[in-house]
Amino acid sequence: MRHPFFKSSRQKVVSGWFFIGIGSRFRGDDAVGCLLADELAAAGLAAIEHSGEPTSLIDDWQGPERVMLLDAVFSGAAPGIIHHFDLRTETLPAAFSKPTTHAIGIAEAVEFARALGKLPPKIEFYGIEGQSFDYGRSLSPPVQEALEKLKGMLLKRYGSG
Amino acid sequence: MAWGFMFFKPSHSVGERGNPSGLRVTMENAHNEKTTTIKVNYLARVEGEGNMYIDIEKGQLKSLNFGIHEPPRFFEAFLRGRKFSEAPDITSRICGICPIAYQMSSVHAMENALEVKITPWIRKMRRFLYCGEHIQSHILHAYLLHAPDFLGYESSIHMAKDHPQEVEHGLQLKKIGNEIMEMIGGRAVHPINVKVGGFYSAPSKKAMRDMVPMLDRACDMARAATKWVATLPFPEFERQYTYVSLHHPDEYAFNEGQIVSNKGLDITPAQFNATFEEIHVEHSNALHCRFRETGACYYNGPLARFANNFDQLSQGTRDLAREVGLDRIVSNPFKSILVRCLESFEYCKEALQIARDYEEPDSPSVPVHPQAGEGHAWTEAPRGGLYHHYVLDDEGNIIKAQLTIPTSQNQAMIEDDLRALVPQYIDLPDDQLQWKCEQAIRNYDPCISCATHFLNLHVKRS
Repeated sequence: MRHPFFKSSRQKVVSGWFFIGIGSRFRGDDAVGCLLADELAAAGLAAIEHSGEPTSLIDDWQGPERVMLLDAVFSGAAPGIIHHFDLRTETLPAAFSKPTTHAIGIAEAVEFARALGKLPPKIEFYGIEGQSFDYGRSLSPPVQEALEKLKGMLLKRYGSG
Repeated sequence: MAWGFMFFKPSHSVGERGNPSGLRVTMENAHNEKTTTIKVNYLARVEGEGNMYIDIEKGQLKSLNFGIHEPPRFFEAFLRGRKFSEAPDITSRICGICPIAYQMSSVHAMENALEVKITPWIRKMRRFLYCGEHIQSHILHAYLLHAPDFLGYESSIHMAKDHPQEVEHGLQLKKIGNEIMEMIGGRAVHPINVKVGGFYSAPSKKAMRDMVPMLDRACDMARAATKWVATLPFPEFERQYTYVSLHHPDEYAFNEGQIVSNKGLDITPAQFNATFEEIHVEHSNALHCRFRETGACYYNGPLARFANNFDQLSQGTRDLAREVGLDRIVSNPFKSILVRCLESFEYCKEALQIARDYEEPDSPSVPVHPQAGEGHAWTEAPRGGLYHHYVLDDEGNIIKAQLTIPTSQNQAMIEDDLRALVPQYIDLPDDQLQWKCEQAIRNYDPCISCATHFLNLHVKRS
């Protein structure tokens, strides 16, 4: 039987980088942010998974001084390309928004937080260009490869080992 | 990637304000008579995708239609052959904003078909869950989608720069609504704890008590929200509606009761199809609802609940209503934003009371045994009544499913409002007229993604 009252993985840190892996585990390459967060948490870094719901996302980055968002994007670039933005000084391209009139992307959540003065002192974004967002699919090969590459880079830079 | 809803127009959308690539064509014929067509292909800040066409000829409104061009989603067909127990989880996927409404209408309809009697604990916790959904949906709509219209902002992000405290309150209230849903639903989006016969699991008494301070604050914020929204400049516009909603003599109706109107309608949910009909109009993928006998459209949603259930509101909410100048009958649809905030205040208070009084149950559900049957339910989604009708076979498999959603029920009334509104503002420049029309459509908080639910398909082979 399902047990719905799972323990929230939310945690607050006030120093060091706080990694937020955004996406859905059930939608192909959209899982890459969650899987990256798993890997970083397993390596002892402060990392959580997040659906991307804007109000709780903004809430989750209150407190930590340094926040790193990890997400899949779909901008038309080659699958597996890794995008990086310093969100204190840059805005995410509009192309990163999901192309519907009823969806809010991370780009809009960031701008909302900026308008309300709710961005952390340091906030960066790594986006991996996805190929397939179909339900029930695993990561596509180029995204899997990008995950390994980004994980290696982040662990080398921020991991204790 | 993206989640749920939109409160900021993506740069790639067309038909944006200030730069309407929505088509405007002014032609002059041989008699120097001007014809103007305003065609807005995408409506922003509503759920899903709709369009609107207005033809003005010689200064007179010639034709107008509001269309929903989301493709049909065939959920009613998906349900056929599935177990009765799957309906709450399947139908909740129709909408990321009001999944509880789908779960509530489906469980009540199934329990009606299977002759299940739920316990007072289940009944109360369903109200708690629904409180959470109404709060988050209403506040999202009021603060992030609709209020910018009244104040002349392009989006809530622009509004936030000038009204940070109000928007902050809005975000906090929406989050509290989500947390109520998480507490009993397991998660806020497409909750997983609802089943026919009750819930899979019950929260602990401690967890519920821990919510009390937060819900206490929520009441204060919702009161402040109502007072702030009452200061918005409301366009002068009055309608004489037939308000249709659920009504229960002992509570502000959510889940149970009769379908009533302010003009004497009083029927059970089982009489829905005998009273109302859904028709397909050429310009929309969403069906239009109307009274079967007269063909008249009707209003459902916050103003209808408020009109038909004013006496069931708590004294505090009725007092606040009077303080912000609302009578039982609110005939200006632009004030629906105010009623949404007022309802949110009521729901915060009810959720607080339930959290304070909460005791853990012996069991969070009652047994359910499959059998053949037919069930109906109308529950109140944030944006209006949601009717579900199921026919089950001996093993509890779904033979027939009908889901009539609030936006379908309101779509004809939205058009009717626009036909009355456009002549009143016909001399405005096109971009301002378009703004006013979009604002009027948002009075209904339409959930267009939900509305494209059924279409008869005929294939001719030769």
